[in-house]
Amino acid sequence: MDLLKHLGFFRAVADVRHFGNAASDLGMTQPPLSQGIRRLERHLGVRLFDRDARGVRITAAGRRLLPATRDLLDAAADLVSTARDLALPEQVRLGVAADLEDGVPYLLRSLAADLATAPSVELVETSRASATPVAPTVAGSVEVVDLLRDGLLDVGVVRHPGVLDGLTAGPVLVVPTRLVGGLDVRGRDASGRQPALADVPLPVAVPPRHHQPPAHDQLVDALRRAGHGGDVVEARDAAQRRALVAAGAAVGLVPVLPGAPAAPGDPAAGPAGPPLRLRVALPLLAQRRPEIDHEAVARAISSALSPEPDPVARPSQGTAG
Amino acid sequence: MSPDDPAVTAALRAVARDAGLTARVHATRLAGPPGTVALDDAEPVAIASLYKLPLALVWADLVTAGDLAADEPVRLPAASRMPGPTGVAMLLDDVVLTARDVVRLMLAVSDNACGDALLALVGRERVHERLGALGLPATLVRQGSADETRAILRDTGAATWAAAQRALADPDHAAETSQYDPALASAATAADLGRVLRVLWAHRGPPYDLVRDALAHQAWRHRVGSGFPHDDVALLGKTGTLGRLRHEAAVVGFPHEHPVGVVVLTRAARPERYLPGVDAAIGELARIAVGPLRLPDDA
Repeated sequence: MDLLKHLGFFRAVADVRHFGNAASDLGMTQPPLSQGIRRLERHLGVRLFDRDARGVRITAAGRRLLPATRDLLDAAADLVSTARDLALPEQVRLGVAADLEDGVPYLLRSLAADLATAPSVELVETSRASATPVAPTVAGSVEVVDLLRDGLLDVGVVRHPGVLDGLTAGPVLVVPTRLVGGLDVRGRDASGRQPALADVPLPVAVPPRHHQPPAHDQLVDALRRAGHGGDVVEARDAAQRRALVAAGAAVGLVPVLPGAPAAPGDPAAGPAGPPLRLRVALPLLAQRRPEIDHEAVARAISSALSPEPDPVARPSQGTAG
Repeated sequence: MSPDDPAVTAALRAVARDAGLTARVHATRLAGPPGTVALDDAEPVAIASLYKLPLALVWADLVTAGDLAADEPVRLPAASRMPGPTGVAMLLDDVVLTARDVVRLMLAVSDNACGDALLALVGRERVHERLGALGLPATLVRQGSADETRAILRDTGAATWAAAQRALADPDHAAETSQYDPALASAATAADLGRVLRVLWAHRGPPYDLVRDALAHQAWRHRVGSGFPHDDVALLGKTGTLGRLRHEAAVVGFPHEHPVGVVVLTRAARPERYLPGVDAAIGELARIAVGPLRLPDDA
């Protein structure tokens, strides 16, 4: 017997002292309500109501049981409402490294398309009401990693290399970049040679170092390796980067994504820069929300950012002792 | 700052984060009143060549007990040596050394051939037995250098050591190896290695002096030593290096102060082989951890 349901019958009849009115309060007809009360009385082994010509009177035993009944029903209602508050929207809470800049909208569009067509992603079936299956957060990689560890994100796209303790991560996704602005391209054209990084006299506008210190340091080393002086200007975001480039104070370094056209504000492309390396980071298996298909989201991100999978088999994966 | 000051661990974490490191730190005064500074020092990690330090301690124990002779000749035939980057492991011809010179090369230049030869001389069983008697975990010496090299060649699918190093250092791939795994490689916590230093410094006698002297002759001072750029500060240390792992267990001796043991075990996010910034961060971590433990030895 569903005790809570039958206690609900008991409370309704006790409140209005009338089976017909109680039944209509409960949105049901009187016969099943009467049967329910009788079932409850049998189950508890006590009579709850006296029915006679003058109407319905609660028994002494019923009066004794009523406060506990109310407490149980109130507690059950609290439990349900607390659970509802705790239930997260069945959206993928996705953290994206701000370094992806103009690639972020591209990534989200291709993700929405990919996830909407993937039948394995259950969230799409169950959350048709919501416009998008992904709730994005754009932040520095270190912050994305912290949010993943704290259970506040489901999936993260973070810059590689970075510390990923307490998470798992997929393969490295290598996104090409190009330099924009600040280059005397015409002068180079006269000599018939494409300008190279070594020819760039200006500092490079890059995301703040604290977004992912080891990746930042690796980039500076790569600039120096290519013959650039290694001077960088840390730009807070893409708007600041564009402003620095427009002011001629720095060259920009922007990711080149297959399906993402150049942003309208960007000057013509210069030479290739060091690649942007990313990884999809996930919480450990035991800490994942079961309503999210993390692996499917990770696959969708990988195919959006790195459409041709690396043909080189990595024997280092899945090592054994 | 006092050793228990939370600001000390906060400063250690900040340095590790800035350098892109997972760091385990344990610093401990080796004489005078006890004192310790710790950061995640109970987490087991793969220790790479740091296995040579407890191995040397066990050897000194056995020589002191009369079970082994310090001047026993040890043959290191070229054909049976696993090639390595330094010492006898990089030589071309057959070599014969006394056991104590094997220990010296093993510690001063992290000679892999000498590490393997000493492990064979002592025997793994006996190493584990002595470690147990000293209250130290057997995992400290799970294997020698040749086993480590073979595992890395297998894990990376590389034909040569140079190719394996390149695979581990590839910035475009997150290469893994069983030798990063404390469940498979020689492994210890930073606190375990701090205990090794305490035991070594608690013993007197020529074999232990020999081990300490070899540590004082370590050929490089770029890690813990970079935090103490002072000519009058003695530094005795042993590094362990493998791919993204960079470790050192060292003893810092300021004049007229109690010696302080410091163990810094790190795993870098960056895979490259040469990361001077990470070596410098290890020096910085050591300096921050040792600072609160400095104490005049007449106090």
